[in-house]
Amino acid sequence: MTAANLTLQQSAFIDSIGDTDISINFLELGILPGKEIKLLKKAPFGGPMAFLIEENIIALRQQEAILINLKS
Amino acid sequence: METTLATQTKTIAIIGNPNVGKSSIFNQLTGLNQKIGNYPGVTVDKTVGFIRIGEKEFNLIDLPGTYSLYPKSEDEVIAHRVLNGLGQEKPDFALVILDACNLERSLLLGTQVMDLGIPMAFVVNMKDLAHKKGIHIKTFELYKSLGVPLVLTDARNNEGMDSIRQVMSEEKFESPKPLLVSADFANPELLNQVKQRFGFENSYQAFQLLVFGEFDKTLSIADKDWLNEKSNVFDFDSKKQQVRETEARYVKISEILKKAVSRDKVKSSNVTISLDNVFLSPVFGFVIFLGIMLLIFQAIFAWASFPMDLIDVGFAGLSGWIYENLPAGVLTDLLAEGIVPGIGGVVIFIPQIAMLFGFLAILEDTGYLSRVVFLMDRLMRPFGLHGKSVVPLISGMACAIPGIMAARNISNSKERLITILVTPWMSCSARLPVYIILIGLTVPDTLWMGVSLQAVGLLAMYLLGVLFTLLGALALKFILKTKEKSYLLTELPIYRLPRWKTVLLTMFNKSKIFVLEAGKVILSISIVLWVLASYGPSGKMEALENEKTAILENTPEAGWPTVEEIYASKKLETSFIGIMGKAIEPAIRPLGYDWKIGIALLTSFAAREVFVGTIATIYSIGGDVENELTIREKLVKEVHSDTGEKVFDKATGFSLMVFYAFAMQCMSTLAVVYRETKSWKWPILQTVVMTGIAYLAAFITYQIFS
Repeated sequence: MTAANLTLQQSAFIDSIGDTDISINFLELGILPGKEIKLLKKAPFGGPMAFLIEENIIALRQQEAILINLKS
Repeated sequence: METTLATQTKTIAIIGNPNVGKSSIFNQLTGLNQKIGNYPGVTVDKTVGFIRIGEKEFNLIDLPGTYSLYPKSEDEVIAHRVLNGLGQEKPDFALVILDACNLERSLLLGTQVMDLGIPMAFVVNMKDLAHKKGIHIKTFELYKSLGVPLVLTDARNNEGMDSIRQVMSEEKFESPKPLLVSADFANPELLNQVKQRFGFENSYQAFQLLVFGEFDKTLSIADKDWLNEKSNVFDFDSKKQQVRETEARYVKISEILKKAVSRDKVKSSNVTISLDNVFLSPVFGFVIFLGIMLLIFQAIFAWASFPMDLIDVGFAGLSGWIYENLPAGVLTDLLAEGIVPGIGGVVIFIPQIAMLFGFLAILEDTGYLSRVVFLMDRLMRPFGLHGKSVVPLISGMACAIPGIMAARNISNSKERLITILVTPWMSCSARLPVYIILIGLTVPDTLWMGVSLQAVGLLAMYLLGVLFTLLGALALKFILKTKEKSYLLTELPIYRLPRWKTVLLTMFNKSKIFVLEAGKVILSISIVLWVLASYGPSGKMEALENEKTAILENTPEAGWPTVEEIYASKKLETSFIGIMGKAIEPAIRPLGYDWKIGIALLTSFAAREVFVGTIATIYSIGGDVENELTIREKLVKEVHSDTGEKVFDKATGFSLMVFYAFAMQCMSTLAVVYRETKSWKWPILQTVVMTGIAYLAAFITYQIFS
C-alpha cells in the first residue's frame, strides 16, 4: 500500500521511499521511514494531495504519493 | 586623545529553510539598509544588508531559503558557492536560522553548514509557537552536542534580536566538529585530490563540490571534466551518496534531539488545518481564489484612482505654474512640456504598483500563495505548466520581469521554459496605464449590477491575457520536447498574519525599482520625444512660425486660439516625429491608427508604459497648457482632421488595447528572458511571434468594431 491509497483523514506509518531520482527531495522535507502520514486534502479531478507529516503539511501529486510505501 | 581604528567590515551569511522567518530576522536587523544585486553567472538575487553595532560593521548576505545543500536549483548552488567562497570572498561567519517547531528538518541544513567548517551560530526562531505546541528545547544540552552557540528568538514579535546583535558584536561564532565523516560517503583519496585542486581545508567542502559539480553552471569546463573523470575513476555515485548522507544525518540528529528536546502530550488545536478545510475545499476554495483576484483588480482600478487623480492634477498644475513664473524660452518649454509631464507619467502609477505588490506580498506572507499551487496544479498541467507556474504568472500581472525570474523555482526545464515564454502575455502593470486611459475613453462610466462597467472592461483585458497565456502554453507543450519528469513536492506552510513591515518593505522596494528603472527609460524617452516633436527639417518650422504670425496680425483677437491650435498641429506634422509617424502610417492604418498613435507605438517598443508619456507629450505640445487639461480629457477631444470623427472611438480603442495585450514591447523583459534562458533564440522568437499575433488580433478587432 502507498500513500496514494490513503482515504481522507486516514493515517499510516511510512515504510520506505521508492528509489528514484527525487528520493532526496522526500528526505529533505522530512518525509522519512517510520513517520506517521495522514491524508488531509485532495484537490479535485485527481489533483495534488495534501499530507500531514508530524506538523508539516506537504503537497504531492498522486504520481509522487505512490512512491511512499506504507507499513500495513 | 583620539585614535582612529580602521573598522573592518566582516561578512555574515544568513541561511535557513523556507518559511523559517529568515527574511523577518534579516529585515529586523538591517531595516532599509539593503542592496539588491546579482551573483555572477546566475540569476539569483543577491540581497546584502548592512548593520552597525557599536563600533563594528557587518555585511549580511541573505542566502535563498533552502532545505538542504544539495543541488536542486540555482538557489542551492548559490548557497554552496557563497559558503565555500567559490568565485567570491568567503563570508567570515554563518548564521543558520532553525525552526523551533521543526528542529529535525532544519538541522539537516544546519548540520550540513556545520560540516563545512565555517565559524557559525544557530538562531532558533519561532520559540513562542514551539512553546504553545508544548515543545521544550534544552538549549544547553543542544549546545553541548552541537558545539555551536545558539540564540532563541521570535522574530515576528521582535524578540531575541538583541541577542543576535550581541552574538555578532562579540563574534561568538564557533567552528564546530563535523557531525559526519565525509570519508564514509566518498573515497578519502578522491576527497583529498579535490581538496588539493580547489584549495579546500575540509573534506565536506570537497564532497559538496563533487555533488554540485554537474549543476554549477559557473564552474569552468576544465573543472567539470576533471570532477567527472575523477568521479568515474573512484566510482562515486552522487545521488546514492546524497541519500546515504541524508539518512546518516537524520539518525545523528534524532539522537541529539532525543536528549535536547521534550514534548508535552498536548493536543493543540491546529488552526492551519481548520483554515485549509475552507481554503482548499474543492468548490469553495476556487471561489475564494477568484474572489481574492477580483478584490485585487477592484482595488487597483477603483481604490488607486484617488491618489492617482491627485498626482495627475498636481503635475498639470506644476506645468502651468512653470509657464506663468519662468521666463518664456526653450528651457521652460522643455521643463513644462517634456520633463514635468514625463515624470508625472511615471509617478502616477506608483499607487497601483505598490498596491499590487502589497497584495502579492500579503498572499505570500500569509501562506496562501502555496495553497494556490495546490489548487491550480491540476488545472495548469494540461497546458504543459506546473502548479508553481501560477506564482510567476500572477507576478506577471505586476511585471513580467519578477514573474520570469520567479520561474526559477520550477525544477522541470520544459515547464520552466514554457512559463518564461508565456508570462509576458499576462497583463503587466505597464499595460495598466494604457488600458486605463483607453477604457476611460471607450467604455461608459456606468454601473452594471453594482460593478463599474469600466472595471469589467479591465477584467476582460486581464482575462484575455490569461486566455492567450494558456493557449500559448498549450501550443508550446506540443512543440517543445523533454525527457525530464515533472513532479510536485512542496510544503504548505502554516497560516500566519502578514508581517506588515515585510509587506511595506516589498511595496517600497518594488515601487523604487519601478521609478528608478522604468522611470529612467520613460523620462529619457519623454525628453527625446519632446525634441523630436519640437524640431523639424531646417527651415520648415520657421516658415510655419512666420506664416502664423502673418495670419495672427490679420485676425481679431477672439480668433487667435483657433489659429494657435491649427498651427500647433501643423508644426507637429512637420516635426521629425511627425515624419516618422507618417512613414509607418500605411502599415498601421488597417488597425485603425493614425500617425500620432504610430509614434506612440514606435516609442512603446522600449516599454509599454511609454505610450502614456508619448501621448501626453504629443497632445500637450503646442496646446494651451494653462488649461491644465488632463491627458484623458485631451484625448476625448481629439478628432481626425479630415473626417472630424473621434480618433479614439471604440474600434480604434479596442484595437489598440488588443495590440498592447499581445505585442512584445518591453526591452527589459527580453533582456531577462535572455538571461534566464542563456540564449537569444527565445527572446527573438518571443518578439516575432507575439508581435505578429498582436498585429493580426488588432486588425481583426478593428474590422469587427468599425
